[in-house]
Amino acid sequence: MSPHKTLVRLRHESLSLGGHKVLSDISLSIKSGEKVALVGPSGAGKTTLLNLLYRRVPELCALQPQAGGLVDLLSAYQNIFMGALERVGTLAALWNLVHPLAEHRREIEELARLLDIEEKLWSSVDRLSGGQRQRVAIGRALYRKRPVFLGDEPVSSVDPLQAEALLKAILERHETAVISLHNRRLALTHFDRVIVLANGAVRCDCASSELDSSALDRFYLEAGEDSSVIPGVPEHDAWAIGNG
Amino acid sequence: MIRGRGTTFFCGSSARVLNGVCLLLTLVALLCLPIADIQIYQVDPWAELGRMGTGLIWPHWSDAWELSRAVGQTVAFALLAVAIAAPVGLLLAMLFHWRSVRILCASVRSVHELFWGLIFMQIYGLSATTGLLAILVPFSGVFAKVFAEIFEQQSLEPGRTLSPKVMGLRRYAYTLIPQSWPALVSYTRYRFECALRSSTILGFIGLPTLGFHLETAFKQGQYAEAGALLWAFILLIATLRFWLRPRLLPFYLIIAVVLLPETVGFSNGGYLWQFISRDIWPAPLLAGEWAQATQWYIELFQSQVWPALVQTLALTQIALVLSALVILALYPWATRSMAGPMMRWPGRFLLLFLRSTPEMVLAFVLLLLFGPSGLPAVIALALHNGALIAFLVANASDAEWGGRLSRPDDPSGLKRYAYLETPRRFPAMLAFLFYRWEVILRESAIMGILGIATLGFYIDSAFEEIRYDRALVLILFTAGLNILVDTVSRRLRRLAHPEAHLEASGIDEKVDRDNG
Amino acid sequence: MFKVLRRVLLLALVLPALAQAETFVFTAIPDADESRLQQRFGKVADYLSTELGVDVQYIPVKSYAAAITAFRNDQVQLAWFGGLSGVQARRLVDGSEALAQGYEDQFFKTYFIAHESAGLDAGETLSEALKGKTFTFGSKGSTSGRLMPEFFLREQLGEAPEAIFSRVGFSGDHSRTIAQVESGAYQVGAVNYAVWEKELANGEIDTDKVSVIWTTPTYPDYQWTIRGDVDQRFGEGFKARVREALLGMDDPALLESFPRKSFVPASNSDYAPIEDTAKAIGLLD
Repeated sequence: MSPHKTLVRLRHESLSLGGHKVLSDISLSIKSGEKVALVGPSGAGKTTLLNLLYRRVPELCALQPQAGGLVDLLSAYQNIFMGALERVGTLAALWNLVHPLAEHRREIEELARLLDIEEKLWSSVDRLSGGQRQRVAIGRALYRKRPVFLGDEPVSSVDPLQAEALLKAILERHETAVISLHNRRLALTHFDRVIVLANGAVRCDCASSELDSSALDRFYLEAGEDSSVIPGVPEHDAWAIGNG
Repeated sequence: MIRGRGTTFFCGSSARVLNGVCLLLTLVALLCLPIADIQIYQVDPWAELGRMGTGLIWPHWSDAWELSRAVGQTVAFALLAVAIAAPVGLLLAMLFHWRSVRILCASVRSVHELFWGLIFMQIYGLSATTGLLAILVPFSGVFAKVFAEIFEQQSLEPGRTLSPKVMGLRRYAYTLIPQSWPALVSYTRYRFECALRSSTILGFIGLPTLGFHLETAFKQGQYAEAGALLWAFILLIATLRFWLRPRLLPFYLIIAVVLLPETVGFSNGGYLWQFISRDIWPAPLLAGEWAQATQWYIELFQSQVWPALVQTLALTQIALVLSALVILALYPWATRSMAGPMMRWPGRFLLLFLRSTPEMVLAFVLLLLFGPSGLPAVIALALHNGALIAFLVANASDAEWGGRLSRPDDPSGLKRYAYLETPRRFPAMLAFLFYRWEVILRESAIMGILGIATLGFYIDSAFEEIRYDRALVLILFTAGLNILVDTVSRRLRRLAHPEAHLEASGIDEKVDRDNG
Repeated sequence: MFKVLRRVLLLALVLPALAQAETFVFTAIPDADESRLQQRFGKVADYLSTELGVDVQYIPVKSYAAAITAFRNDQVQLAWFGGLSGVQARRLVDGSEALAQGYEDQFFKTYFIAHESAGLDAGETLSEALKGKTFTFGSKGSTSGRLMPEFFLREQLGEAPEAIFSRVGFSGDHSRTIAQVESGAYQVGAVNYAVWEKELANGEIDTDKVSVIWTTPTYPDYQWTIRGDVDQRFGEGFKARVREALLGMDDPALLESFPRKSFVPASNSDYAPIEDTAKAIGLLD
């Protein structure tokens, strides 16, 4: 894929759910090779925008939804393996449920070392903590081996140090990435473009070098006036609560 | 459509929606009363009932070996049929987005096991194959429908993280199947109990299960033997949780295969073609006389199909409302919160007894009490199905006992029944009831023995008179009626229980909790 | 998943469980006293086996239709049918033949019985007093419990049973007809005379409550019917040997199973009146 080729272009996209406007008049394009951070207060429409992008080019993307999309009964290994399903025949895929396929096993064990979930690889994921589950979900996305990564707060449940390392790994392994984040420092340091969403609209779309932390805070504050989100306090993680 | 109306117009009060539905059904049932063939006759049943009671209290069976063989074969048919039907149903559930699959499943499950038995008997004779197919064909349809509903309830997220190119079995094996595995397993368990009942009933048409001897004993008035068989069956169901262990399944399956009755003197399936190409079509149609064939169908419709349709539907509607009354009257006696931790056992036993006794047997006893009309059929259906649901409702109540929702100042007794338990259970109860609607309809069709001209009566007659051309038409109409009721009930069910409308997982969790 | 696959494979092996031994198999319609059928007819099977020199088995069935179907499908080669079921079976299997009938079957009859509360008296004919009562036949396919009583009802009262009675049921069995009339569930019933006499002799009937109000004229009933192709399968002259064996059955213990005094020769034409009657009342096309 040649760099700078436009992958997705949205033109005046609007979306309403149940009479409530979720996205209004969004126009933007994502080029291959870009690393885009999506920031904005809760309810700004980040998830909806990511889904919209995903639907345009599903075959190019590894999507990591907010709750991770894990299958509880399966082990961490199987959950990561799912990323490779398109590369495996049906019979092999079924056999893998009974007995892990050797080549995938090697590769996934390596991935698990990177994600630091080696010792949990064979327990079913309903036994894992919120942070561990999130790392399994990242594992699956990485194992998809797609050029584009779309992540909805992919590192929200892990500690800051790990979050940074994981984010680095994700960005290294994908040519293009659009990731929604709450951690504004990470957004500014690891991405080359930042899109700020508030109340379903794009408030700012520029190179990260043009922004700083206080500029971002202002967007949160403005949005907070009508959505009462306190800046700088990360929203609670529905996922962690759900599994706590 | 009904669902849409419910959510938009009635969203102010969910109670009003439920009351509306109940009122509507009650009105329909009342309108059905004059149509339905219901009457009470002066009878003198006490001598016969006395003999029955004595038989039940002092059961007797001389040949223990024969009894245990009948029990073994009842279990064998049920186990093997479920072992095939569950995976088949699972496969069909994966294809449930195809309309043709949905229609196929609705039609196969709309025909009662007994009729399937009669059909397969034409082809495979009195063989193990007939017995297995008679259970597994309709059960596959039921499994497909319920499994598909279970899938519908699962989160779509795991699927979205996969490549859109991953389709079919690969996708299901890694997402929806493991996601819903506990629900699938517990529904299959529950269905196994149903299969035991079906397997027993198949004895009525000649397979060597408990029903074979039960029917004989009842027919001959040997109530001590009938009592022994009934107790054996109730014991079998009551002890399910002790012997139905996943780890023992492979072992059981092997035994089941060994236990299947040997097919004696069966030549081959060579009559299948004759059955399909000749037996099920009226003579004028085969001769190519279209006008006469049309006349034949019109006459059949006027003389049998239409009156029987009306009668079957009328009895079903009355039985449905009566079932609701039975549930409301019986369930508190089986709950910890209202009957008490010890005193609930007699209530639970009564429910077990009523849901385990085949409706035909109940109907026969009631026939002696009330004389021949639709009344015994309606009461038998209401008692059987009402007890089954009351049992689930009572379990749901017990599961909540002492839980999150209970308060020290909760009322007790009748006040608790009226203010706490019934309002809490009502939506689920209605959902169960709508789910059983289809079943009640199917069963009311087999109450023809009472001389009530339901569809089942005419189907049975057609088989007795070796007129498969008539049987085909009647069965098709029965199936059509069933599909219709199923559609309406699904909509009402969603309305009554918009969130947890999945009766399947509901039933099973509760059954399991009870078993565990 | 693997478990599931294993189950499917296991069952695939089971389904075509079609035993294929060259055994001569017979059945009997379940008209009365079904219990211990296996025991009773097992003895008959043993007798035939000795007489014919082939393996003989009996299979029990639950309904007249099942007996006919088994005969049609060649699952059984010989059957003890009622008058009507025999006619139906022979219409379905070309070359099949009535071999022998019970001595009593040459002049069989049906009793009409009534509960005392119906206030019906025994008489020479069926009376108009029957009108509006409730009535039960036996099994739908029975000659003595359905066909002949319906024929005589139509003949004497000039109307279909549904028009004569306020309700018409099918008890499914002669014994149950007696039980249902005795309990008053139905006021009137039609029952095989042999079953009535046997239960009466055993003291199982309370004659204060139920009594015979009319006896039909006689008609031919039960008979042994054999498939036409048995000679090809079991050797030339097999059919004749079966007839001989049946007619030669003189052990009271065996005859009690039916229960008949002895067997006498029969032919298809003996049952022409039954076939005509069945056609007349619309049971056969």
